[in-house]
Amino acid sequence: MQGKSILRAVALTLIGLFFLFPLFWVLLMSVMTNSDILRNPPSPFFVPTLHNYFALISGQLGGVVGTQKIDYMMNLFNSVVLSSCSVILSLLLGVPAAYAFARFKFRLGENMAFTLLSFRFAPPLLVVLPLLIYFQKVGLDDTYIGLIWVYQLITLPLVLWIVRGYFEDVSEDIELAYRLDGHGWLATFFRISIPLARPGIAAAALLSFIFAWNNFIFALILASSGKQPVTVGALAFITASGIEYGQIAAALVLSIVPTLVLAIFTQRYLVEGLSLGAIKG
Amino acid sequence: MTTLYLDKISKVYAGAAERAVDTVTMHIEDGEIVALLGSSGCGKTTTLRMVAGFETVTDGEIRVGPRLVNTLTPSQRNVAMAFETYALYPPLRVRENIAFGLLRDRVASTEIEKRVKHIAGMLEITDLLERYPPSISGGEQQRVSLARALIRNAAVYLLDEPMSQLEPQLRALLRARIKDYLIAHKMTTVCVTHDQTEAIALADRIAVMEKGLLQQFGTPIDLQERPANLFVASFIGEPPMNLFSAMVQNQTIAVLNERQEVAFHAPLPASERTRQLAEGHRIMVGVRPHKVHVAPGGSAEAATLVGEVTSNHWLGDSCHVGVMLRGCLLIAVANRDLQAPVGSQVPVVIPGEAVHVFDVETGVAIQHGLESAVALAV
Amino acid sequence: MAFLEITGLKKSFKDHEIIRDLSLDVERGEFLVIFGPSACGKTVLLRMVAGMLRPDAGDISIDGSSVVDVNPEYRDIGMAFQNYALYPHMTAFDNIASPLRSRHLPAAELTERVHEVARMLRIDHVIDHLPKALSQGQKQRTALARSLVGRPSLLLLDDPLRNVDAKIRYEMRLELPRVLRRYESTVVYVTQDYKEAMALGDRVAVLVDGVFSQIASPHAIYDAPGNTRIARLFGDPPINLLAVRPLTGAAGIEMQVAGGTVRLPVDGTQLAGRECMFGIRSENVAVSLEPTDGIPVTLDAITPLNNRLVMLLRGTEGTELFASCPQGGPMDRLRGRHQAWARLDLAHAHFFDSSDGARI
Repeated sequence: MQGKSILRAVALTLIGLFFLFPLFWVLLMSVMTNSDILRNPPSPFFVPTLHNYFALISGQLGGVVGTQKIDYMMNLFNSVVLSSCSVILSLLLGVPAAYAFARFKFRLGENMAFTLLSFRFAPPLLVVLPLLIYFQKVGLDDTYIGLIWVYQLITLPLVLWIVRGYFEDVSEDIELAYRLDGHGWLATFFRISIPLARPGIAAAALLSFIFAWNNFIFALILASSGKQPVTVGALAFITASGIEYGQIAAALVLSIVPTLVLAIFTQRYLVEGLSLGAIKG
Repeated sequence: MTTLYLDKISKVYAGAAERAVDTVTMHIEDGEIVALLGSSGCGKTTTLRMVAGFETVTDGEIRVGPRLVNTLTPSQRNVAMAFETYALYPPLRVRENIAFGLLRDRVASTEIEKRVKHIAGMLEITDLLERYPPSISGGEQQRVSLARALIRNAAVYLLDEPMSQLEPQLRALLRARIKDYLIAHKMTTVCVTHDQTEAIALADRIAVMEKGLLQQFGTPIDLQERPANLFVASFIGEPPMNLFSAMVQNQTIAVLNERQEVAFHAPLPASERTRQLAEGHRIMVGVRPHKVHVAPGGSAEAATLVGEVTSNHWLGDSCHVGVMLRGCLLIAVANRDLQAPVGSQVPVVIPGEAVHVFDVETGVAIQHGLESAVALAV
Repeated sequence: MAFLEITGLKKSFKDHEIIRDLSLDVERGEFLVIFGPSACGKTVLLRMVAGMLRPDAGDISIDGSSVVDVNPEYRDIGMAFQNYALYPHMTAFDNIASPLRSRHLPAAELTERVHEVARMLRIDHVIDHLPKALSQGQKQRTALARSLVGRPSLLLLDDPLRNVDAKIRYEMRLELPRVLRRYESTVVYVTQDYKEAMALGDRVAVLVDGVFSQIASPHAIYDAPGNTRIARLFGDPPINLLAVRPLTGAAGIEMQVAGGTVRLPVDGTQLAGRECMFGIRSENVAVSLEPTDGIPVTLDAITPLNNRLVMLLRGTEGTELFASCPQGGPMDRLRGRHQAWARLDLAHAHFFDSSDGARI
């Protein structure tokens, strides 16, 4: 059986390399100068530099043809604000709604749930121009609130559908047992239902965060430079005077960091099994 | 219609430290019904699957009749099997499922027709013949799977948990009918079950297994009257055997109660095994609930103990009485007419021949039956 | 006034009427068993009493006051579930302590009471484990402990021994009454196992097709079952039920049973000429291999059961009949088919109406 495990190790390494290599390359580029990156033939030997990061953070990008002001840190800040607030709002609205859909069978329940999911089917491009017009009329154009509200189209259906499934898996008997112990339905919801659905909530939060973070089109149309997140902000690196690859790479690395941190933080909740053997069968 | 010999067969799974089946030897006679009995994980299903050919044999030989079958595929071995998971063919009707093996053996269609009707009637599935497996209940699917195996002309019949899903009402009837069928057609059968009542009802001999090892292979009466060790003694029987800690004191057995006081004693018959027991040696004493007499009367010389009734479960055809004797709780099965309300005092006789002695460390039985009845310690 | 009064309860799910018209009075301190085959509505009934489901019609009152509009947390009920329903993210200690926490008991008293119950149910040594680290028996005892610790006036036990090994189940059958006697609660216990029902219950309520077809003591249910269905549910092997038509003959009332003629005792006159179902339990059918004045039959198979021998007999016209006798006799080593004679002990005969199965 030795051959099998060697083969498996080789296969996994190759797959790992295939997926991780681009990230590794970007990481490498972020600590190289532009001239090192563009050297032909490419050389593995170079002196790593943090110059690109300093440039980004200070907002002064030194290029071949002179410096340029790019406020990437502002973009980063916007991304964090928009994504986190969207996810938090979706959780606040979506988790109780998911519970209602899971527990209470009411007329049109399935229809309503499906309608909410269908929001994800529609391409954003379809709705973004009418939205822009409405927003401008109402004064929500280029505001955090407006964008967070629109982002609900992305995050809320996801939270609803993932968390509903997890609530359905929580046995009603456990909730009844807690009620009979003398606790009210609200206490039951917070101390039993939510903890037991935690893996689902964590998964939904993480996925929503990633989708919100990666959103481009809403941010592009409905926000101007002060409120733009990194997805739009990255465009600014492509200038008439040339492309600073090193700085783009550094910008990319910085843009990954928040999501990575969140993923690491939520991972331990994702791994917990549901029910944990407290229910037979 | 054939003998089945398992000679020191063992099974070790790759990478496992322990043997799933450890040198099991069984000689099953032509037409005999044998049950492999044990709790889950004991190796009984693995043994069955080795006989069928779904598992390779790590060591030892399996012979169906005179043929060594270790290297034969299942279809070459001429065995019929009823699976625990039923494994019915969903696109075929129940009738076709049952007849499948016969079609393959190219039996005449009128003969098939007749046999299917007979076996469906026997297992009470005649109404289901035209239905499809997914539309019938678990218990019904199980009966179809059984029918499919029993209808065939095979050398050996292997049944894996054949009646676990049956409704309780049908169980007694189908067990009797199946036993009748197996005996009438002289079918050599091996049944796997975790239910000791099923094993005792059906089998000529029972092989009790635990942790891959064969604990005892004998008739139901052997297992009840002369259990080889503590495991067999406590596994067989409902209610389970009464077991008490005891020790050897001056060639007598001193039975200890929960507070570690000596509650009873009984003289230990002299035999080779008992002579080897040192003073103070720890033993377990067991007596079957069915052998404990609760009632006034009994032979004059039998020493009578008096205890308090702590529970009385009247079950219609008998009653299960729990009696507390000097700190030992004894369960007895008595006649349904016994008047023994909870809290009353009743006389109890534990006849000597009903007492079994086991060694605590090894669990092995030392003695079956004492010469005189158990008496109260003074 | 009974402690728990259920009157005229009805409940349907999607046009299927699961509970048709249930009425039941449980006395204070009584141990009442609800027995019925699977899916007969027992769990639905318990859930209505607990407050998880609302009945479509009817009333439930505990200690004199109706509880139908009262939330579960105010009903002073302890419940043990078939699938344990333990809180997986809490230790056994916290599981058991839960009913006491809602009452804001001081920590010292709470700890003392939890340990008391745990000791009584012999799970004190595993009290700090999470449910996933407990064995089936330990989980079941933890669920039981949780239901008892609050000393509720009404205890609902929903088939708590169903998922437990046979050996532990027998042990618990002995222990449960001992444990419950300490608490003096009124107990409603649900089970599908007739032996459990008879062993544990002061009275047994048989639930079939959404109604209680008989509520009586175990003795009454076994010796005087209200209808054929109930007669068949209690007893292993099940009672023999044969269609007969007693006729007035020269020597008294006679009937044809399994190909033989049987004379009925004098008080059978009301049955003369009537199509009915004759019931006789296996233990009241005596079998002999020597010719007697009984019915000639073939002994088809012997299956030992719990120290008795159960015999499948076949009458000359094909009727199947069960007989049983204690082990330890000449029949012990018999195998295969034999000619035999069966004698029926008519002192324990039951008669039921042919059409509705009700007792005559």
